Amino acid sequence: MSTETPALAVTGLSVAYGAMVAVHDATFALAPGEACAITGPNGNGKSSILMGLAGLVRRRPGDVRIFGARAPSGDVRWAARHGLTLVPERRQLYPGLSASDNIVLGCYSWTSSLAKARRSAPFGMALELFPEIRPHLGQPAGTLSGGQQQMVAIMRGLASDPKILAVDEPCLGLAEAVSRRVYAALARIHEAGTTLIVVEEAPKRALVICARRVEVRNGVATWAGEP
Amino acid sequence: MKSFRPFTVILVVGVVVVVAFGQQYAGSVFVLALCYGIVTAGMAVQIGFSQQIVFSQCVFMAFGAYGVAMLNTHLGMASLVATPVVMVAAGLVALLLGAVVTRASGLALAVATLMLPLIATGYISSAGYLGGSVGAPLTGNLWPGSSTQSIAIGNGLVTVVILGLVVLAASRILSSDVGLELYVLGVDEPTAAAMGVRTPRRRLELFVLGSVFAALGGAVYAGTQLFVPATLASPTAELALLMMLFVGGRRSVLGAVAGAVAIQYLSGASNWVSVNILIVEGVLLTAILLIDPDGLAGITRSLATRLRPRSAVAPPTPSVSSAPPALFTPSALPSPHEEDRVLLECDEVSKEYGGLTVLDDVTLTLPPRGLFGLCGPNGAGKSTLLGIIGGSVPAARGRILLDGEDVTRLPPQQRFGLGVSRTFQAVHLIGGRTVLDNVAVACLTSHRSGLVTRLFRSELAAARQRAAQTLDRLGMTALSGRDVSSLTLESQRMVELARAVAPGPRLLLLDEPASGLSDAERRRLGELLTELAGLTCVLLVEHDLDLVAQISQRIFVLAGGRLVFDGGPADFRTSPVVNSLLVGL
Amino acid sequence: MKFGQLVIAGLVTGSIYAVFAVCVSVWYRVSNILNLAVGDFAMLGALGVDDLVRVRNWPLPAAIAVTLVTVAAFGYLYDRVVLHLAQDGRRVHEGIVITFFFTFALSFFIDGVAKVLFGTDVHAAPALWSGRSLSLLSGLHVERAGLLVLACAVICGSMFWLYIRYTLGGKAMEASGENALGARIVGIDTRRYRRIIFTGTAVLAAVFGIIESPITGYTYLSGATISLTGFIAAAYGGFRQPGRALVAGLVIGVTEALLGGYVSAEYGDTVLYAILAALVLAWPRGLGFEAAVGG
Repeated sequence: MSTETPALAVTGLSVAYGAMVAVHDATFALAPGEACAITGPNGNGKSSILMGLAGLVRRRPGDVRIFGARAPSGDVRWAARHGLTLVPERRQLYPGLSASDNIVLGCYSWTSSLAKARRSAPFGMALELFPEIRPHLGQPAGTLSGGQQQMVAIMRGLASDPKILAVDEPCLGLAEAVSRRVYAALARIHEAGTTLIVVEEAPKRALVICARRVEVRNGVATWAGEP
Repeated sequence: MKSFRPFTVILVVGVVVVVAFGQQYAGSVFVLALCYGIVTAGMAVQIGFSQQIVFSQCVFMAFGAYGVAMLNTHLGMASLVATPVVMVAAGLVALLLGAVVTRASGLALAVATLMLPLIATGYISSAGYLGGSVGAPLTGNLWPGSSTQSIAIGNGLVTVVILGLVVLAASRILSSDVGLELYVLGVDEPTAAAMGVRTPRRRLELFVLGSVFAALGGAVYAGTQLFVPATLASPTAELALLMMLFVGGRRSVLGAVAGAVAIQYLSGASNWVSVNILIVEGVLLTAILLIDPDGLAGITRSLATRLRPRSAVAPPTPSVSSAPPALFTPSALPSPHEEDRVLLECDEVSKEYGGLTVLDDVTLTLPPRGLFGLCGPNGAGKSTLLGIIGGSVPAARGRILLDGEDVTRLPPQQRFGLGVSRTFQAVHLIGGRTVLDNVAVACLTSHRSGLVTRLFRSELAAARQRAAQTLDRLGMTALSGRDVSSLTLESQRMVELARAVAPGPRLLLLDEPASGLSDAERRRLGELLTELAGLTCVLLVEHDLDLVAQISQRIFVLAGGRLVFDGGPADFRTSPVVNSLLVGL
Repeated sequence: MKFGQLVIAGLVTGSIYAVFAVCVSVWYRVSNILNLAVGDFAMLGALGVDDLVRVRNWPLPAAIAVTLVTVAAFGYLYDRVVLHLAQDGRRVHEGIVITFFFTFALSFFIDGVAKVLFGTDVHAAPALWSGRSLSLLSGLHVERAGLLVLACAVICGSMFWLYIRYTLGGKAMEASGENALGARIVGIDTRRYRRIIFTGTAVLAAVFGIIESPITGYTYLSGATISLTGFIAAAYGGFRQPGRALVAGLVIGVTEALLGGYVSAEYGDTVLYAILAALVLAWPRGLGFEAAVGG
């Protein structure tokens, strides 16, 4: 394990929804440029870990450091501005806005100028990720098929120029051929140097690109052996 | 019995207050409040449960009040006799008006009915015979007594009894099987339709019910107050009614009455309050909404559950039998020439969405039993085809035949009645109700029965029993009493499946039931589906090709809206078309 | 020319409806809440300025400034306290049924405060652009205040449209209304946008109240009628399209004037409402209504 600052260092992360504890005391770290899969049966806490990391839910206690900087609990904007972008489960796009608008809003975390966002490299790279979306850019995102929406969601994630990209169940409800394209794109993103976290309930697919795996069962996260 | 409790409360409290305070000011405020209570009780059913906001109650209240006033003044009819006359008239008007108005729903319905108080006020203020913008006086008391004393008490007692009966009627309807239909209708109308609820009819019935109760409230108002102000039909009056409903509790009949009483007493409580009533009401409503959107009734309920230790709700025990029974009795016994019989036929079905061809001349047939897979890339039209077969999506061209009968024009409710049952890609369960009730929705037999018949009869228990049997057979009895929103996604999918299976359908349409499930869960699902295939016809949309190839007898593949493959699993695995499309080689 | 004069009068009242319709529409689009208190903020603006100028003898610009600041502060506080508790707390209140009623309660509250502060008489802010009505071609007259309202309506409408279409902030605001969770994920502060819009529409409504009140005069109850008509006009835009709400407001104003002039002064309004109701029922999808409202 290198001695440089880990991209992500999680210590004692816990997430609870009222009385129900979803995640106990998760501890793991990722070096920059690593790809890690979070696997385990459904309803056991995988998504909650990601949501806790991204700041969508409050976590207590727990320490999360992104490139050494300590992330405040429950602050999504902080995470987005410090390089951690989440592509959430079920996409969460803006159905009435066009696909292009959905993607360009990914740039919101680092700029407030529409023109700059459109001209930027991250936006351009996002568009190149899935060329099959190009003819649909002007269409309202709500009218796209499930696979196309997943692609737009990942493009939006990439437009934010993330250092760490966390993807939650990228292939939920997608056909085999589309899943392959999605994973091919994720592989390209990883090869470009982005640290990757993928939550997947079917580990086979994720392990093609992910070197390490965290298994989550009943809210407890443990490193699984190298495959 | 539970539905009698509100009735008893009203009678006891009402009689005590009237007899004790009937002749004082406090008593007269109470009676006035009860008049409003009659209206708000109807609103609780109409708005609280169906969640269709309508703004017409003040208009019907004015109709009832003016009706009694006119009958009394011009025809000399006693108020107590005029009341049922006015109710019948209101019912007819509501039926006519409702038939037009309830064609809309949601916001459109709200806006359309918002015009009604404006139209009514405009008409009333210019109508001389109604007393114009002042109002109409009348002389006939509700209780025709001789002394002021007996009139005051008599009026009060009659009002209490009428309110009690209204509350009883509302409670019985809400706790019946139709009550469950209404609940589902209010939360998720398309799902209600897919489960057989006759949605247009129910909405009309709710409109008429709420309007008739409002008219009754108005009639009693006229008979006890002896003056009908022209402002009774105004938007302000409507907002006042809504204020009472929300403060008291929009989902509780008793709460609605309590709200009316609370607001009326509040208005007369002190001079300062009555002058600044607007400020007080604004703050009160805001505070209550923040604490509990279900108003005082909701707050009371939360306190009660916190004080009382929770007792587990025992699900009804299903009948015990020696061998595990089949999930349901198939609608027809298998016959020797079964493979030749056709249950479902899709004939050149086509569909476009804004210029995009989603389905193009799709033709397929299914026999009465078996498991059939429907696969294809995303956007190929699979869910659309299920929607067309199920009736929630109209086909642009082509026909759907069920057992030889053309059902293309039938709405989803009627197809459900013919034995078509389906699940959806996204889980469409009804939050706030138990698993048992969610499954029981599909087992209701009350769809053809009128709302009014539920005053006397309810078959909710039988529906719940049937649901319990299905849950037991699927090994889910432990979940029966839990609120569906507290379940994991996998459990929710199983509940949806249970709901689709419970009525014993002839055709079961499943839309990606394995999505989000683990390997072990998929295996269990596969076993279950294989068992179902022996009982009925199952059409399964799935992306998990291994699962589909393992359990299906025949597989259809849609691509770009056209059927590109129709054959057995062996051919499916080796077909080049299929492999290029789906596996991406 | 009677027809022309009626049309102009109709456009003036119509532009008032239009402005409030746009406020309701924009507000709904961004926050998914229906603001029934828009008219009440207008009333506060008008009566506040009138009170400061006429009763306390303040100079007009100071009166306007102070009134607008007070309205803004009130809007900000309401969002900070009430809307925050309603939407950002642990228990999120959802559904149009609930959020509709918060602003309804607010409307009651504002009317009550106005009654205490300003009494029950009819008042109006002093005209900003005083003088006789301007005459247009061929003998048509228009009130100066009316022209001002129309101009402001068009300017505000266009500015908002440009904002939404051509700036990232505008798209972020829209995204907040489309999917609050999705918006937060990209770092959008949905609460801040809601606060801005709420305070903004409150101030905007107050401005229009100040400009328009010289024409009609307001009482403490006028807010309710304005909110209602604004709500109805917004309904015709389907609640999400301010452009259509604007047009709807104008058309309703003109129709109202024509009905009043040609059909009957007494029953003109009644006929108008009957027509509006019939249109909604006959054509809900054409007018842009969502098919059903989620609980």
